[in-house]
Amino acid sequence: MAKDKRKDRFIRFRADTGQHRRILSVMAALGIVAFLPVGLQLYNLMVSHHDYYSQLALRNQTRTTPVTADRGTIYDRNMNILAASVSVETVYLDPHELKQSKADIPAVSAKLAEILELDAQWIAGQAVDTTKRYKQIAAGVEQDTANEIRSYVNENGISGIHLEPGSQRTYPSGALAAQVIGFTNASNSGSEGVEAAYNSYLEGRQGKVITTKGNNEMDMPYSYEKYVESIPGCDVVLTLDATVQACLEKQMNAAIARYDVQNGAFGMVMNVKTGEILARATLGSYDPNNYMEISDPETASAVEQLRHQYLSAPSGSSLYTAGKEKFQKALNEALLKQWRNRCISDGYEPGSTFKVMTMAAALDSGAITLDTPFYCKGAEQIPGRSQLLHCWRSTGHGAQKTPQALQNSCNLAFAHIALSMGGETFYEYIERFGITEKTGIDLYGESKGVFFSKELVTNTDKWGTASLTSGSFGQTFKLTPLQLVRAISAVVNGGYLLEPYIVSEVIDANGNTVLKQEPTVLRQVISNETSKTMCQLLGSVVEEGTAKNAKVAGFSIGGKTGTSEKIDVLDENGQPTLDKIVSFVGVAPIENPEYIVLVALDTPSRATGQYISGGVMAAPTVGAVMADILPYLGVEQNYTQEDAAGQLFVMEDLTGMTVADAKKLVEKQYLTIQTVGEGETITGQIPAAGESIAGSSQVLVYLGEAEERKTVTVPDFKGMNRQQVHDAALSLGLNIQVAGNDEISPKVTVTTQSIPAGEQVAAGTTIQLYFADTSAAD
Amino acid sequence: MASDTFLIAKEDRRLRNGGASVDKVFLLILLTLLAIGLSMLYSASSAQSEYDTGYEISTRYLQKQAVCAGIGLVTMFFFSRINANFWYRAAWPLYGVSIALLLLVLVAGESVNGARRWINIAGLQFQPSEIAKFTMILLFARLTRSYGADARKFRYGVVGFGAALMGILIPLALEKHLSAIMLIGMVAVVMMFVAGTHPKWLIAGALAAVLFVLVYISFMGYAGDRVSAWLHPEHDPGDTGYQILQSLYAIGSGGLFGLGFGKSKQKYLYLPFQYNDYIFAIICEELGLIGALCIIALFAMLILRGFWIALRSRDRFSTVFAAGLTALIAVQTILNLCVVTNLLPSTGIALPFFSYGGTALAVNLGEMGVLLSISRQRDQTKIQEGIL
Repeated sequence: MAKDKRKDRFIRFRADTGQHRRILSVMAALGIVAFLPVGLQLYNLMVSHHDYYSQLALRNQTRTTPVTADRGTIYDRNMNILAASVSVETVYLDPHELKQSKADIPAVSAKLAEILELDAQWIAGQAVDTTKRYKQIAAGVEQDTANEIRSYVNENGISGIHLEPGSQRTYPSGALAAQVIGFTNASNSGSEGVEAAYNSYLEGRQGKVITTKGNNEMDMPYSYEKYVESIPGCDVVLTLDATVQACLEKQMNAAIARYDVQNGAFGMVMNVKTGEILARATLGSYDPNNYMEISDPETASAVEQLRHQYLSAPSGSSLYTAGKEKFQKALNEALLKQWRNRCISDGYEPGSTFKVMTMAAALDSGAITLDTPFYCKGAEQIPGRSQLLHCWRSTGHGAQKTPQALQNSCNLAFAHIALSMGGETFYEYIERFGITEKTGIDLYGESKGVFFSKELVTNTDKWGTASLTSGSFGQTFKLTPLQLVRAISAVVNGGYLLEPYIVSEVIDANGNTVLKQEPTVLRQVISNETSKTMCQLLGSVVEEGTAKNAKVAGFSIGGKTGTSEKIDVLDENGQPTLDKIVSFVGVAPIENPEYIVLVALDTPSRATGQYISGGVMAAPTVGAVMADILPYLGVEQNYTQEDAAGQLFVMEDLTGMTVADAKKLVEKQYLTIQTVGEGETITGQIPAAGESIAGSSQVLVYLGEAEERKTVTVPDFKGMNRQQVHDAALSLGLNIQVAGNDEISPKVTVTTQSIPAGEQVAAGTTIQLYFADTSAAD
Repeated sequence: MASDTFLIAKEDRRLRNGGASVDKVFLLILLTLLAIGLSMLYSASSAQSEYDTGYEISTRYLQKQAVCAGIGLVTMFFFSRINANFWYRAAWPLYGVSIALLLLVLVAGESVNGARRWINIAGLQFQPSEIAKFTMILLFARLTRSYGADARKFRYGVVGFGAALMGILIPLALEKHLSAIMLIGMVAVVMMFVAGTHPKWLIAGALAAVLFVLVYISFMGYAGDRVSAWLHPEHDPGDTGYQILQSLYAIGSGGLFGLGFGKSKQKYLYLPFQYNDYIFAIICEELGLIGALCIIALFAMLILRGFWIALRSRDRFSTVFAAGLTALIAVQTILNLCVVTNLLPSTGIALPFFSYGGTALAVNLGEMGVLLSISRQRDQTKIQEGIL
């Protein structure tokens, strides 16, 4: 019984079958089913997305510190440094860290301010902004200054001040060739000029150090450190010659000042045989070391005024916002303008300089010969042109042949030349001269100008002859200065159209040449014979035509002047301003051309009272450039006696010589020797050895004991022509050096003299006289 | 029948000796888990230990955990010798003590990370909620036996259990101990289901809880942050999303075979709580999918065996008690795994036998001792009848 009872008790309190069933379902749910999503999720994370999370984890566990690569240097053709990088450091604060380390903010700020020459209060303000972990307080800090901060930080055990090495670009020559070289932006990447176009070579490749580290800088087993070395940037060697560039800019600046040029100037020097650019300038320029600074003082003050205007308006007002917008627009415009390389980026109306191509095409195609006659009566009704065509000289040039047409730059003659050639031929040559295409220069931002469509030039039945005839003398279309220079180079170099280039070589850090540019001939445009003929004609333009002011003693120069109205620039009334661009393209030496020089002055002021033309303004500027650069470039000088007269030479030491020997020594400078006293050997001379003396002048030598010095009074040479000067100087025993226009003509007279009238000087002293032909036009 | 007489005689003898031997399969699984758990704890905590001690000691956490494991094993052995009748009688007194301790914590508790959940009695620091979990399960088992078939009625199945549950949940709510509330609530639901409370009430209760959680989230900013960090951890990788992203990096980089034991990289202070709540992420990173699945399989086996013990148990009290204790381990394990793998938002529930935490380990092992004791009193009739 007792056993049964006990058994009953078990049965009575036994879990019922319902409970068993429910436990079974809970068992299935908690023991099996609930784990399935976990398993699936694990498979998803660990197998399907393994690579994804591994990558993230790796990035999470590693620290990558960039190692900056040194940016390459830009050299000119003689390895003068034009752009280089120097090591600098960036100083920044970690306000969070400063706070954690309980740094004495006022003391730290004061010390930093002292070292960096900054405002301590400003630094303190940055230091307490704990919302940020990176507050830059100074960039471009030089190594010495950075080391000073470093030792201060180390000595005082301050945490929260950090230094980051970097590099800064410097341009030792300042504004020289600024638009060609360009500049780098804040992130050290080239943004203009060669810096931009060759950025991929210059910048090198950033290296990095990858380390595995535990969080909170904890050391970790199985860690590794990987160092990817930075590759320094390549050096870029330009075809540019800093000396030539400096000469070009100096003369252009002088011209801007002399003729009160309103809108800057552009010019370049190119090797006509290779297409190498030796110099290229766009003025007003800027200093790439401070490229955000407006260099033109007038523009700068105008922009600054706009800034003041909007800042004085209440913040948030519509006056403020509108003013701010206006200021920013003006600032951007001014900056973009000074950065712009007009030689390749902007088209301009070439005017008469373009006649070179028209004539070359006409001669080459046989449409005209050197003997083809033209008659210019000042104005003429050209068939197919609605308006009367005027020549620039309203009285007309009368009867001319081909050479005179070019020397006179006669528009009417060129209209007839174009008509006789026909639109088809003309356009074909235009295309072959590369006027309708980019030159392919290795810089960004090249434009190709705007030429007439082929239809407009060739289909004269439908469109008339206006485009054809205007095109023939360089009006109503635009091309870039580089296109013009290249086309004229082709005219004079035997007929070969080249691809111009500015970078000759790219050299990597190990000295290996990575890229080398060679002269590239694209095609022959005209025959060698036509080219030779054109050289002679261009030479005659300087000798006898509109470009006499470009003459340089000792060198044979050819060239063509140009004056064009900026017909698309309107004043506030919508009328053309009649602003002019005057230009001259010179080639030297003209019998075997090597260099071409273009200078264009944009908008010389009418206020100077000088006749605004390429002949008066641009030709002498190019002449001055040539006089500077040709001797430097090693172009051989060949003086006629007449030329030598305008040239200064260094006086040789003649003492101790016999008169016969002395005569032989100074023969090539056309110097004559006048003796004073008696004796065998020369005991004294005027001018003294080492002094400068004009060629074709007189040297006084003293013989024996005769030591007699003469002094003379300098006369007023102003207004005298060459003959009068010669006579006056000879009678007084003064030597004359001729500068400026050396043409012997009653119209060319002295404008300035180096020693004022009335001064007492030793006999034989050289006086410099500046001659100018004020009647020259076009 | 002679065989019957023999069986009954054998049963009597067994009961006099305090029942048969413990369930050796369950014990084996448990000890395996504990061994792996301690090994992984060493690996996961070594970096933190070195960091804390300035690279002197790598076993600081292991040492403490091992001591508690020893205490837990002794407790387990002791409890495995205690007859279920003792627990049956102790249910109400222990319940009272639990509530008293929970209330004491509110007054004299020690604040850790801004929450008062710890209490210090005679140098022993522990969370009363650990005790409360056990006594709740114990009381529910006792109530289940008392109610019998009446559990189906609202008065008992809902009001009776509910009142008992509230006695513990209310002090916990005052402690703002969300994870304990969740855990106890879910185990309670499982036990009520087993007891026979009609599922419609349980579903209604679950819905009410979800609704409460939603309202709670919209009022309490910090829990809301947890949810957004759960759904889009990548939106704020540095702050709210940091914990879970670091966990996913660890798990994902483990791959099929893992980086190898001890070779976790995430444990180097990248993954916070790498040696307690998020230890499973380090397991995945080091042992790979295969190792992780093996450990999950061990947990699943432990849970299935635990319910099997419940089913084989002699009486209703023991059955439900064993089922409740098993459910507690199961719910903790599943919630922890779901949080670590970002299936659920972060809650703060540790992985039993693995996560660092001495009292929790000791209490868990003690509870396993109770389960082992129940396993000794298996119902021979059921076995004989072939039910199990």
